[in-house]
Amino acid sequence: MKLTWYDKVFKPKTYTLSNGKEVKQRASRTPIVLVVVLLVTIISFEVTGVDLSLLRTRGHQFFVILLAMFPPNADFFSSIWGPLFDTIQMSLLGSILGAVLAIPLALLSSSNIIRNVFINGLFKFFLSVLRTLPTIVMALIATFLFGLGTMAGTVAIFLFTLSYIGKLMYEHIENVDMGAFEAHESMGLTKVEAFRYAIVPEILPTYLSVSLYAFEGNIRHASILGYVGAGGVGLLLDERLSWRDYPSVGMVLLTLMLVVFVIERISEYFRMKLT
Amino acid sequence: MIEFKQVNKTYPNGVTALKNINLSIEQGEFVAIIGLSGAGKSTLIRCINRMHDINDGELNVNGVNVSKLRGKQIRAFRRKVGMIFQSFNLVTRTSVLNNVLISAVPDLAWWRKLLGLFPEQHKVDALEALDKVGILDKAYNRVDQLSGGQQQRVALARTLAQNPDIILADEPVASLDPVTAKVVMDDFKRINKETNMSILLNIHHVELALEYADRVVGIRKGEIVFDGKATDVTQKELDMIYGSPENVPSMDDPEEADV
Amino acid sequence: MNESIQLQLEKAPNRKAYLSTIALILLALLVWSVYGVNLSGFDQRGTQIASNIIRGIINPDLDFLFNLTSAGVPYLLFETMAIAFLGTIFGSFLAIPISFLMSPSVVSAPVAYVTRLIVIFIRTIPSLVYGLMFIRVSGPGPYAGVLTMSLTSIGMISRLYVDVIENLDRGVLEAMTSMGCTTFEKIRYGILPQLFSSFLSTTIYRYDMNLRDASILGLVGAGGIGAPLIFAMNSYRWSEVGSILIGLVVLILIVELFSNRLRSRLVKG
Repeated sequence: MKLTWYDKVFKPKTYTLSNGKEVKQRASRTPIVLVVVLLVTIISFEVTGVDLSLLRTRGHQFFVILLAMFPPNADFFSSIWGPLFDTIQMSLLGSILGAVLAIPLALLSSSNIIRNVFINGLFKFFLSVLRTLPTIVMALIATFLFGLGTMAGTVAIFLFTLSYIGKLMYEHIENVDMGAFEAHESMGLTKVEAFRYAIVPEILPTYLSVSLYAFEGNIRHASILGYVGAGGVGLLLDERLSWRDYPSVGMVLLTLMLVVFVIERISEYFRMKLT
Repeated sequence: MIEFKQVNKTYPNGVTALKNINLSIEQGEFVAIIGLSGAGKSTLIRCINRMHDINDGELNVNGVNVSKLRGKQIRAFRRKVGMIFQSFNLVTRTSVLNNVLISAVPDLAWWRKLLGLFPEQHKVDALEALDKVGILDKAYNRVDQLSGGQQQRVALARTLAQNPDIILADEPVASLDPVTAKVVMDDFKRINKETNMSILLNIHHVELALEYADRVVGIRKGEIVFDGKATDVTQKELDMIYGSPENVPSMDDPEEADV
Repeated sequence: MNESIQLQLEKAPNRKAYLSTIALILLALLVWSVYGVNLSGFDQRGTQIASNIIRGIINPDLDFLFNLTSAGVPYLLFETMAIAFLGTIFGSFLAIPISFLMSPSVVSAPVAYVTRLIVIFIRTIPSLVYGLMFIRVSGPGPYAGVLTMSLTSIGMISRLYVDVIENLDRGVLEAMTSMGCTTFEKIRYGILPQLFSSFLSTTIYRYDMNLRDASILGLVGAGGIGAPLIFAMNSYRWSEVGSILIGLVVLILIVELFSNRLRSRLVKG
């Protein structure tokens, strides 16, 4: 049994069996983990100023805006569908471009495809860094570069999709069983042919399913990008919220919910078929 | 002592699993039950600890009429009958010791049960059970780090810690490779000899059954077609149990319908 | 050709029509979306700003980056971490009952379906709208951020919890029945140990995501590092933008590294 610093502070307990054998049980880690979690929680309460009693006294305020949204302003629908299509178009274009470009990046990151540690590491790092930036921050930067509008939103979604699919795919590719690849090479296929017939069938269903999933999520993400001026239905939300026109906000949210629901169902249907 | 008297069992879907079973097993016997998949081996074993109910007839275990037991009595009765499964049925995400300790759970005070605090004596008992099956050194490993054979021995230790009179084993070695299967069968044999626990096991490996068991019961379509010493089993008896020679299943067919 | 071979050949599933229809739809959607997005390249101003941002990142405001008072990057990141932490804790606790209500193997199918619909409803409202609603409760600041995070985490966490619940190994329960255990004992020793590490792993994963999301709450004044970032950008203080971006990227990379390690230890033991 390897003793760590923890076992030196909290000594293991020894049990003696009736036949004289001794068994040492390490002191449980649970207490120290609990203490740490408790401490972090207390500090977080301090930093954020969370006061749960406020929820009891002022909690109803949360529902003020929510209730003001009912009944939703149905007449507003005619102004919604334009920006809503913008949102869908942004997510579609961003998702498709991101998904396509993710393939070469994922291949370059996979150590079993490109056998060069330096290249693998470089692209993996690039994908990780890209992933750290929240979509809306990217959208914000994009509005500065491309001006306000759907282009900025598309770029943000494109970059997010790229990093998301890229990372999931290289993890998947690296776990593909290379046995079939080897077998095909032994049958005299070239590396490219072997890749086409051994690796592609393995990763294609996952790739399509991950792409669909990313698209689903992107529709939801795209709806807030308007906040920073990156086009779409978020623009409308921001505008109506600042005018306190809550029935119209309600209508926007309702429409959004329906669209997301329908798209999720469609995408789920195809993803089920893929697996 | 286990006594089946004219036991019949039909599943709600109309499948007859057991027909006119008459069987009596003395304390300390090592019995192998063989037969085709779906012949009723699992059902037979599961009736003994009331995992299944019988439709009619009488089933007595150590003088207790099993069909008459209710609620709490069933649970108390099951404490004295251990069971081993093909798929081990362990909590894989916790330590070996914690798995063995589950056998002591029903005996704990309610607050200990809630908090999972086991008295020292129970821990020592559990460790001794692990020692008996030779995996004491794995006590604090997580179950999912163990091989299949080791996992089945954890399950065996869990049953031993219960200190039962009878151990029922439903295809205990079907998921194991031939070498590991022998190791586990050796454990069964040793426990049978040292503690005088009765051992009943369903098994597909005819060779293992004949090698380890003292007595062999052959089942075909829910009926006992052979019951005798393992040494008396010849190709003729096997043909009777399995039907024509072509129907003899391959020696390590892991598939066994749960009927 | 042998007749049976001929027959078998004809049986080959014909998916050409199906696949080409899907490809056509996809192409049409692509064209439609290209048409819809106002494609615009970098103009003079864009290039200028791009170089400014890069200059800001290469040459960050070091005073701001290492200023330990409540106005510096470290404190802002710390506050963002705290918001994400509490939000994750509250969200994961709220998700436990919800996930059980969503599991078809625990409750009846209609109940599971209705709960699912409610969760979809909760999930679709953008976090910024929640932010505004909660600011009415707690006033602007990190508290509103925590409340928002708690609500927005529920959707994903409960969905992942449901997967865990649906994939429980029932063999253990069978074994415990054969050992004479009561229902309570089966839940405590058969189910909880299975759920605990998976739930914890999901929660840690969500913390990663919440940390990223927490940085956008500043947009509506719900605390965290988002607000200073926007102020800095809007007033073209690029070296400050650089400091914040560097801080954020480094923090998220470190947290991700730790959480991946922690989770693989949970999974592998």
